Amino acid sequence: LDLRFFYFFLSICESASFFQPISDSHRSAAVELFSPDHGSLKSLEETYEALRTFDVLGIEKKPDVTATACRLVSETVGSSSSTLKNVFYALKANSIVKCKINDKAYQGIITRLNAAVDGASSLPDFYYSVGGLVLVKGSKGDVHLADADGIFRSVKAFRQSDGRWRSSSSNPESSAFAAGIALETLAGVVSLASPELDQSLISTLNNDISKLFDSIEKYDDGALYFDDKLVDGHDHQGPLATTSSVVRGLTAFAAVTDERLNIPSNKILGLANFFLGIGVPGDAKDLFNQIDSLACLESNRVSIPLILSLPSTVLSVTKEDLLQVNVNTVLGSNAPPLTVKLVGVFTSGSKAASLVESQELVFDDGTGMYNLKNLPKSIDVGSYTFVFEIVLHELEHEKIYITGGQKKVPIFVSGLIKIENAEIAVLDSDLGSIETQKKLDLAGQNAVSLSANHLQKLRVSFKLTTPHGLAFKPHQALLKLRHESKVEHIFVVGNSGKQFEIVLNFLGLVEKFFYLSGRYDIELAVGDAVMENSLLLAIGHIELDLPEPPEKATRPPPQPVDPYSRYGPKAEITHIFRAPEKRPPKELSLAFLGLTFLPLLGFLIGLLLLGVNLKNFPSNAVPATFATLFHVSIGAVLSLYVLFWLKLDLFQTLKLLGFLGVILVLVGHRVLSHLASTSAKLKSA
Amino acid sequence: MGKLWLICIASISILLPFLCNAFSPETPTDRRVLVLLDDFAIMSSHSLYFNALKSRGFDLEFKLADDPKIALQRYGQYLYDALILFCPSVERFGGSIDVAAIVNFVDSGHDLIVAADVNASDLIREVGTECGVDFDEDPSAMVIDHIGYAVSGTEGDHTLIASDDFIKSDVILGGKKIEAPILFRGIGHAVSPANSLVLKVLSASPSAYSANPKSKLSTPPPLTGSAISLVSIVQARNNARLLITGSLSMFSNRFFRSGVQKAGSQTKHEKSGNEQFLTEISKWIFHERGHLKAVNVKHHRVGETDEPALYRINDELEYAVEIYEWSGTSWEPYVANDVQLQFYMMSPYVLKTLSSDKKGLYSTSFKVPDVYGVFQFKVEHQKLGYTSLSLSKQIPVRPYRHNEYERFIPAAYPYYGAAFSMMAGFFIFSFAHLYSK
Repeated sequence: LDLRFFYFFLSICESASFFQPISDSHRSAAVELFSPDHGSLKSLEETYEALRTFDVLGIEKKPDVTATACRLVSETVGSSSSTLKNVFYALKANSIVKCKINDKAYQGIITRLNAAVDGASSLPDFYYSVGGLVLVKGSKGDVHLADADGIFRSVKAFRQSDGRWRSSSSNPESSAFAAGIALETLAGVVSLASPELDQSLISTLNNDISKLFDSIEKYDDGALYFDDKLVDGHDHQGPLATTSSVVRGLTAFAAVTDERLNIPSNKILGLANFFLGIGVPGDAKDLFNQIDSLACLESNRVSIPLILSLPSTVLSVTKEDLLQVNVNTVLGSNAPPLTVKLVGVFTSGSKAASLVESQELVFDDGTGMYNLKNLPKSIDVGSYTFVFEIVLHELEHEKIYITGGQKKVPIFVSGLIKIENAEIAVLDSDLGSIETQKKLDLAGQNAVSLSANHLQKLRVSFKLTTPHGLAFKPHQALLKLRHESKVEHIFVVGNSGKQFEIVLNFLGLVEKFFYLSGRYDIELAVGDAVMENSLLLAIGHIELDLPEPPEKATRPPPQPVDPYSRYGPKAEITHIFRAPEKRPPKELSLAFLGLTFLPLLGFLIGLLLLGVNLKNFPSNAVPATFATLFHVSIGAVLSLYVLFWLKLDLFQTLKLLGFLGVILVLVGHRVLSHLASTSAKLKSA
Repeated sequence: MGKLWLICIASISILLPFLCNAFSPETPTDRRVLVLLDDFAIMSSHSLYFNALKSRGFDLEFKLADDPKIALQRYGQYLYDALILFCPSVERFGGSIDVAAIVNFVDSGHDLIVAADVNASDLIREVGTECGVDFDEDPSAMVIDHIGYAVSGTEGDHTLIASDDFIKSDVILGGKKIEAPILFRGIGHAVSPANSLVLKVLSASPSAYSANPKSKLSTPPPLTGSAISLVSIVQARNNARLLITGSLSMFSNRFFRSGVQKAGSQTKHEKSGNEQFLTEISKWIFHERGHLKAVNVKHHRVGETDEPALYRINDELEYAVEIYEWSGTSWEPYVANDVQLQFYMMSPYVLKTLSSDKKGLYSTSFKVPDVYGVFQFKVEHQKLGYTSLSLSKQIPVRPYRHNEYERFIPAAYPYYGAAFSMMAGFFIFSFAHLYSK
């Protein structure tokens, strides 16, 4: 078997290897999927699918859906330009909502459809036109095909030798999907034929159907389906649409033929299982295909599948749950009178004989279920396979219904497990004498605090008993030691009978513990699928004193970093600027500024004391002018220095200084030579 | 003829952006997704998830994983923006796809969703390893939790887990709290502690362990407790986003629609959290959340508007950047309070949190350090779930020019005073010396 398909089925059916009939979840899904605001109900085809699904599921049609449908139907039927396909779906929708269509429109349609049948060249053309006529016949009554034999033959021309059909003579690909359509069309031809068709034609078709069923594919749990593996997946329909088409064709054909089709009824059950195994599809089209096909199977003339299901496969011995079994048709309606027998109970995975005697389940009128009053005493907690069988009360029902023989259902029987004698102890290694021992209460809180060195041992022990007093072996019995640095060590707690015990010899574990001394938290996990009081318990901690690691010791593995701490803003950084140079306070500088003027003051006072005068200042106009100019130039040079300090740069200063210097030298020379000559005159005089 | 050429070139240049289509801030829309399946039936059994994607505008293309005609790229151009591997049992991909092709696909910035399951093939495990997670090596191991399982009348082996240990991140899981636990059935994986790109989004509870439920446990299970990751995400350095999970059924309609009650809890949820969780996370995976772009980086001196070529030490400057987040349809302002700017030369000299105006503009001002050299403005924004922003702009900083120092220093006034009093003395002395009798 193709692994892919096997896998797929695992995914859709999960572990439940039995199938639940259609339930309320389908109804709510249908309401959700086929709502006008969901975007469906745009075309007539979708409208029909919605109406049909609601009809089958017994959902009350919303008035607006009916009104929209009727509007669409009358538009399509009244117009001569609507396509054949639309006319077909309009008639189909009409067969459910029963809109008012006048006779004139019907006459027009009948003429159109008859013309279409005559002019049809491909399978869909036949399908729509014949199907349309069948529907008209359903509501008006008097419709026949004149040349039914001829039409039957021309449809049959699309048949291939392997039981599949081609959709048109130009298309070389044959498919099971087309086979379903062809069967439905032919069923229509048979029902419209007047006079009746040649029976030999019909019986050859019977052979084709058996051939088609040879190509059926199978999942591991018995679900059967059809799938077209087209080389060019252009109009690949998928297994659901293909199987649905075949079922529709098959049941339609079975309804019109008098002969019994020789299809093993197991195959019908397999097909029903396939549709039920899908669960609740999330797609409107898929849901319609599923529901429509199941509705076809529900009332088909080959054999009607009965589905055995259990509302719960997990039973608690402590709560004394009832074993309930439901037998329904695929759509969830009641089955004919029957008896459900519990044939045997086997422990899962073992080949031992049945644990119980074969017995009948009691039918409860109130719930409509078959109950097993008390679980047999021999059934303790554990996982079992229960085998059921359906026995129909009336013999002739066995021809109509198919029950599928013995049904194996995995059942978990759970219960409260008694935990006793829980102890934790630190032992001395060589003698095995107990250093410290603490009782544990595994149902409550524990906060044991122990300490040990590498020469000692740690022992944890407890006892597990089932409600029936037998030894219980849980799937999960783990002791976990977690160091402060989050390095974890896990040990499986072994058992001998009821007693569970683990002894950790730290001497042998030093290396495994990476020589990490310090506090280890101790956790005990005991759990099993059938243990109702599974536990994960922090017992306390042990302070371990292990030797120093040798140089070559392996380092503990890195521990995962907390993702929250890995991100997040960093601490802000502000630049620390260079501290400004230390300067004296401004007052001090100003005080010293004042001091620097004191010598000048002293100098001026000295000059006054000496009696300085300006008597030598030239009295003549020309030298006096030069003297004035000389001092003005000196003053200008000095002011230039002040300006240099205040704002001028060196080049500007030098330029001006050069200019002033020349003047200063010239005027200075005149003044000084005048002064020298006057003083020489004085001396000579 | 020339006109024809022009049209050719013009049409190529128009089409080119649509042909190369990793998520990019320039062309964030137009996303095609290749979905590889084991069986077309998954299309209908998982249709709620696919429909949720389709309704958000994704163009899903379904192919069988062993279809000989599948290819990720043609003529050097990727045909898809994202890949969904819902084919846990495929032993060999068809066409030109192999693990290396998938790794290249991700390396060029495309997104990936991988769902493994029990009995996952070596190929899918290898893809997981390439993504940075290790699935439990035991092929029949499953995650079992005897305490945190989902109560169900028909599932008794406690492999159907109700998990609610989510990562705390609104950007990954959406702002709305996920109330109902997540249904999970499948294999667990471990995330390498050394890999900082992988994040556990959904972890198992401390009581969980990974083992074969059908056989006796004789050796300690390789994965236990919260170390088991049920769903992990990866954000690669090129911002490609990956989702890895060990359960395909958690995407199924069945789990989406199923009610959930966690063992030991009285609350019964009408609907599991799967739909909300996986839809929200797919928004993250497909960059509808948490994808940031930064535009309009501006900096200038305080009081100016033009960007200078260089700064002087001790300048006061202003820096501003606009950050937007892609919402699936448009760029929305990104609001956060932890975007930080570094003024960086070998190491950050200044690291400052930018203040936001809640409309996407982030700005700050600071004083240039008194160290000169070539600096960088760096915005390295890394936040859980967001794409990392990394902006850097080089800017030199010079010292003072000789005439930019302080001119009149009070401490030097005595010296100035001495010089000027000397000059005044000299001026007076020149009179006294020349003209006194």
